[in-house]
Amino acid sequence: MNVIETENLNYSYPASDTPILKDISLQIEQGDFLAVIGNNGCGKSTFCKTLNGLIPHFIAGDYNGRVTVGGINTLEADVGTLACKAGYVYQDFENQIVRPTVLDDASYACLNYAMEDYRERGLEALKLCGLEGKEEDYIWQLSGGQTHLLALAGAVSLRPDILILDEPIAQLDPAHADRIYEVLRELNEEHGKTIIVIEHHTEYIADYCRHVMLMKNGKIAWKLPADEALRRVEELQECNIFPPQVTLAAYRMKKKGSLPEKVLLPTTILEGKKVFQNLRFKKNDMPRITEPRFREPAVEFRNVSVAFRSVKGEEKKVFQGLNLEIQKGEKVAVIGSNGAGKSTMMKLMTGLLKPAGGEVRLNGESLRKKKPEGLSGQISLVYQNPEEMFIKDTIAADISYAMKVRGVKDYEKRTEELLKRFRLWELREQDGRLLSGGQMRRASLAIGIALNPSILLLDEPTANLDIATRREIMKTLTEMKDITETVMIATHDMQLVCEWADRILVLSEGKLAADGTRDEIFRDSALVERVGIRPPEIFYMGQVLDPTAYCYTIDEFIDAFSEEKKEETA
Amino acid sequence: MKKKLSENILDKFSIDFLRNQVLKNAYGNSDTLIASLDPRILLIWYLFFGLTPWFANDLCFLMGSFLLVLVTTVMARVAGLVLLLFGVGVFTQTGYLFVAALFFGGDTSAISPLLILTLKVATCSLASITVFSGLDPDRLSNGLMWYGCPERLSFSISYAYRVLPMLMEEFQSILLSYRMRGNPPEHETLAGKARYLIYQVKVVIQAFYPLMLNTAKRSRTTVEALEIKGYRYAAVNRQVKKMKLSTLKVTYNDLLFLSVSFLWVAMSVLISTLI
Repeated sequence: MNVIETENLNYSYPASDTPILKDISLQIEQGDFLAVIGNNGCGKSTFCKTLNGLIPHFIAGDYNGRVTVGGINTLEADVGTLACKAGYVYQDFENQIVRPTVLDDASYACLNYAMEDYRERGLEALKLCGLEGKEEDYIWQLSGGQTHLLALAGAVSLRPDILILDEPIAQLDPAHADRIYEVLRELNEEHGKTIIVIEHHTEYIADYCRHVMLMKNGKIAWKLPADEALRRVEELQECNIFPPQVTLAAYRMKKKGSLPEKVLLPTTILEGKKVFQNLRFKKNDMPRITEPRFREPAVEFRNVSVAFRSVKGEEKKVFQGLNLEIQKGEKVAVIGSNGAGKSTMMKLMTGLLKPAGGEVRLNGESLRKKKPEGLSGQISLVYQNPEEMFIKDTIAADISYAMKVRGVKDYEKRTEELLKRFRLWELREQDGRLLSGGQMRRASLAIGIALNPSILLLDEPTANLDIATRREIMKTLTEMKDITETVMIATHDMQLVCEWADRILVLSEGKLAADGTRDEIFRDSALVERVGIRPPEIFYMGQVLDPTAYCYTIDEFIDAFSEEKKEETA
Repeated sequence: MKKKLSENILDKFSIDFLRNQVLKNAYGNSDTLIASLDPRILLIWYLFFGLTPWFANDLCFLMGSFLLVLVTTVMARVAGLVLLLFGVGVFTQTGYLFVAALFFGGDTSAISPLLILTLKVATCSLASITVFSGLDPDRLSNGLMWYGCPERLSFSISYAYRVLPMLMEEFQSILLSYRMRGNPPEHETLAGKARYLIYQVKVVIQAFYPLMLNTAKRSRTTVEALEIKGYRYAAVNRQVKKMKLSTLKVTYNDLLFLSVSFLWVAMSVLISTLI
């Protein structure tokens, strides 16, 4: 049975001539787990909003075609009726939560639709979403992952047959991301809900989804079973989507000739095990050349402790007796779960936050008496959320601001250079907030390096980006080598960590749980387990094939497994 | 003082602290006796102590009322910042008059009339503080709704508490952006300090532009989510209102609270007639 059917759906936003959805005809079966993928701005979110009636009932625009959800034509029902058919969880889910306590928010929609059993429905939804025991908590006590689950519970409480989630795990660490998908799987398998996710983490699609739909410029390119879809490596890459690392490795090995032409590309580690089983691991333990570490320290943490006030009860300790030295010229990645103190660490380094005990030293000077304004020539922080860096009404003004107020000579020329370098020249007169995700990120980087700081701190620079933009940011990072000596990145993106960093700091519960090279970190499986970090998929693939194999990137994997096992095949 | 003032605005007076106080005020005291009382009863109680002091001139009665609301304020465990604002407020209303009177050659005879005025102001303020910050916003808005206030008002109250912390966080990040990139004037000299103060005020004002835009961007999702969650339906549906208000219940504690208050006021009136 089809739970969703669309016929020749066309839509363009009000005051826009170009249609964002073009001639969409589609059927989705009851009980499906569908991933919608596609470029940034290809119409994925818009399409999903036509399913719950927000388009055209709440957001007008030029709409024609037919959408039926659970047998109801969306044009003939109101948003309330449709909300009981299809629940929606936004990408910026925290803005979706409108009530102060957990149970209150979960049951709010039911109360509004005058359902007598609203409390029970809320409780039931919380239970389904794994938030039992949190009913009376205030929403600001929840972690990012729990907040997302609450947003989901708010949708589930109306008992819709369909749940739509827009990039559910974009801001979450792997442990929380797994949790979300486990909940979704249970809702799908045990409770028969149809689940639609907009997702670009193909590893998760391979593990959890049944079908994949690719959208290209407002059209549906195809809808296929998940494994078949993920094997279309070239097409995915064309649309700026990363195929799973295992698939990509096999694809490239096929081209190279180390895998036979007829082999079916694997999409999960389990399948990979079969495909790669005849390959021999060639020890290539070439240690990465790391320059000696005994140089000048750029940043020192000496016995630093930080605590935050809390609304109720004792204050929350973020750091206690943290000791750390970062040398000039290092490329440091800081990893750890949400709330482990990554951002706090960066704020301490810029002097925005003063430690309660101990001291932080920057280029040999204590920050205790320093003001952040005086440090901006030495160190710069690019926020996770680029919008918070835009303080002027055009990006040109934003980039030049710090130079202008310092009376830097030729600041106009330098602004022009920066704008051109980050390919923002055509956009220079626009407000930063109106740019696309990738453009915003580039603009925030340009703002960050305007004063040529020798230390650059980046908070989650690759979150929410598709590969094209991500690649671009990576390129920029390498290009900036000549300007910024020391770079520190806080991130959940382990591929980035493995490709880029030469030193990894692992934070866990306010402590420095580990500090070392990727080999020192990821080879320690007890540590990886304890602090909830996850090496890239390709690393696991190597491990499954040969426990002595440590491959962090696809290139390393292809090199290491390039020969067939002779003794067995002969 | 001047030195402190100029350093204070951005350095010591942190938004984080403000945010914490706001939340503490709204939700940090939900386990007190005052918070557990029925909001309708408390509103009636407030009506009495908010209005009668203005019409009474009897020192004994005013003193009695003042002591009572003082006790309830302590019981409601009101956040420190609110109490500080109260103190400053009362002083700027009447306290300075007393100082001025002494300065211009007056004597202590000015105390009595000023005391009465002060007591009136203080009683009303403390009664408001007890009710409006002792109750959590949801209970308060339910109480107001029972008395016929429109649903929109009561939703606004609880939603304001929902977004206020978010707004403040956003504001803080924007101020931090200014701090990281700005270049404040030197403030070693007196003139420099004045310039620094002006600079800080300017930054705070300029920070409003990005704050508003960022908030507007965020609220797009909130508006859509409210629509999905049926907020507009509920506003016109009587059934929903009834369901919301069915959680209100007058208990033994409420009656006890009312009778103790009544007895206390009656006693103070009695004493004043005896004197």
